[in-house]
Amino acid sequence: MSKNKRSMWSVKLSTAAIVLIPAAIGINYLGKLFASLLRLPLWLDSIGTVLASMLAGPIIGAASGIINNIIFGITADPISTVYAITSGAIGLTVGIMAHKGWISSIQKAVVVGLVTGVVAAIVSTPLNMIFWGGQTGNIWGDAFYTFLISTNSPQWLASFGDSIVVDVPDKVVTVLISYFIFKGLPNSLTNIYRQDSEIEEI
Amino acid sequence: MSTIEVENLKYRYPDTTKLVLNDLNFSVEKGECLGIIGENTAGKSTLCYALAGLVPHFYKGAYGGKVTVNGLVVRDHEIATIVENIGLVFENPFSQMTGAKQTVYEEVAFGLENMGLVRQEMHTRIEKYLKLLAVYSVKDKNPFDLSGGQMQRVAIASVLAMEPEVLILDEPTSQLDPQGSQEVFEVIEELTKGGMTIILVEHKMDKIAQYADRVLLLHEGRQVDLDTPENIFSRGDLTDFGLTPPVVTTIAKALGIQYPGTKLYPVTIEEFKRLGEDK
Amino acid sequence: MGSMTLYVEKNSLIHHLDPLVKLLYVAASIALTYILPEPLFIAGVLFITFLLLVVGKVFRNSLPIVALSMVLIFSLVIVQGFFHPDNATELFAIGPVVFYEEGLTVALGLVLRVLVMVGAFSVLILTTRPDEMVERLIKKGMSPKIGHVILSVLQLIPQMRATMGKITDAQRSRGMETEGKLLVRIKAFFPLIGPVVLNSLNETKERSIALEMRGFDAPGKKTFLNEEKIYPYNKQFAGMLVIIILLAIVWRVIG
Repeated sequence: MSKNKRSMWSVKLSTAAIVLIPAAIGINYLGKLFASLLRLPLWLDSIGTVLASMLAGPIIGAASGIINNIIFGITADPISTVYAITSGAIGLTVGIMAHKGWISSIQKAVVVGLVTGVVAAIVSTPLNMIFWGGQTGNIWGDAFYTFLISTNSPQWLASFGDSIVVDVPDKVVTVLISYFIFKGLPNSLTNIYRQDSEIEEI
Repeated sequence: MSTIEVENLKYRYPDTTKLVLNDLNFSVEKGECLGIIGENTAGKSTLCYALAGLVPHFYKGAYGGKVTVNGLVVRDHEIATIVENIGLVFENPFSQMTGAKQTVYEEVAFGLENMGLVRQEMHTRIEKYLKLLAVYSVKDKNPFDLSGGQMQRVAIASVLAMEPEVLILDEPTSQLDPQGSQEVFEVIEELTKGGMTIILVEHKMDKIAQYADRVLLLHEGRQVDLDTPENIFSRGDLTDFGLTPPVVTTIAKALGIQYPGTKLYPVTIEEFKRLGEDK
Repeated sequence: MGSMTLYVEKNSLIHHLDPLVKLLYVAASIALTYILPEPLFIAGVLFITFLLLVVGKVFRNSLPIVALSMVLIFSLVIVQGFFHPDNATELFAIGPVVFYEEGLTVALGLVLRVLVMVGAFSVLILTTRPDEMVERLIKKGMSPKIGHVILSVLQLIPQMRATMGKITDAQRSRGMETEGKLLVRIKAFFPLIGPVVLNSLNETKERSIALEMRGFDAPGKKTFLNEEKIYPYNKQFAGMLVIIILLAIVWRVIG
């Protein structure tokens, strides 16, 4: 176990793990495109980040998330840069939980999704407060924000509520989709991203 | 000392129980072209990885025996060191592009930048190998805008520009159309004539017969035979290993055209014609 | 197939600036809107930012980027305008909906800040080649591997977009429904994304082999094919930005 702990936070990144990051960002993008093509009421734009976390651990997962938002920030939508921190937190959370054995069954995967959603909301709330006075720009979330404000809730709570109604369902579905894909991958593929393997002599 | 020496090489992928390479022993001399043939499960690609250091350094797993390339014991050196001695080109041209470079010219530079070459040397080598591979005319194009055959030739140029002693070609044409394959085989012919040490894995047996000086026949990870193409393709039991000899050899067998005084059949059209006329 | 970039090839003063100076401008202009948060002052920063876009000959190219943030801007104005906790002074009413002065002032500040952010980013991304910026950052100490990741993503996204088109057509021609009830549409998500994910993960394996074979992991010092550009008045611009920030902080503390 102590060996595993070291490997989860290994700073020496293998080439396979590095190459996984652009693939993860591409998958994020595709998830988002397909979700909007099918007019699904979710973003589904972090499937790649979640998969990278499951495959290569929290560091690569977090890196995928952070770089994902920075790149979309500098190429398409500057506002998304702000949420790089949130995406990083998503990668960290899934990576750590996956490493601790929380993706061994569907039930557990749902828990991972819930925790990830809450973490995402917790991280996003101060960002939303700092940058746009607490809102998210998402219609459902902002409607809920408005409702909470009108019932005289404090602004930070309204802002947290705004994030949570958006993030939790999205992350549960995202983690579940990633879980099903992950379980379907052959060993020969998942092996190469692991940082802990040693060469055995025969 | 031979350019490549393989002694008692054994290998097993992680989390598996079967040896993919089981006690291989052979050597390759400078300037030689070694063909490797066998079924899909024979271990051909794994052997290529073992020569290039990807086995065991990239894949990990269980490893035994010794591989020496250009005097370098593969097990004891990092891949980055090994690649200055041996280059690998594989079937999918698309995934061999780095994906980070905007032009063919810069694509070839990638390996040279990592090697830390000075700028002038980079330019000299890039020009030389783009011309050698006949892709100089597309040097300013985005690598992903090329045809499969062009892309594969850029992949070969990128590896050759690092000036390794040995070039491994692992089924370099199996994902190309006939036109692209032809382009790549023309390059291979040039390289063999130029005295490059080459390891060629190929399904097209006529190409093995044409270019290989010797052929290594693998089956289920074991070394069945290592001999001249004539000896290998004249074996009566090739089908047991899931292989068929070149068409020329099959016809020669049917017609009874042999090298006089031997039981060997011709493996190339030129030899077939010569022996046929003599008869 | 190109790279994903909003870079506009033009010959302007801004184009010739060091990417790092432009990056510093993004940071400085956003920081200024927090150091001195009065709407009038933020409007000043916004004016300078727009001026830079004009000098960079990319003002028109920045409009679609600004348009992207419109949803957020509308949402800010409406929600803050009539629900901000400090609302007291009625400004005007549309039917039953009342807008308050306090909320609108807050909204104005926020909107101006969003515009500064988007505008400053536009200055950077519309006038800077991504590979030039990445190479600059690598030379300043960023890991070349991270640089590689960024440049690969920029090439990968257009490829993925093309792949998506192909998959969608293929699945539609097999009779998959992309319209209809929510459940139907959710079910359609899997056959769409599944194959691409598998494909791109498989490709990572081959690509990492290819990169290893090109010395990607080499421990020695890397060199660069492209010669380093000389940027005029680099230090002066950077120094000026730092001084402005310091002055703003002093102003804030004294005033």
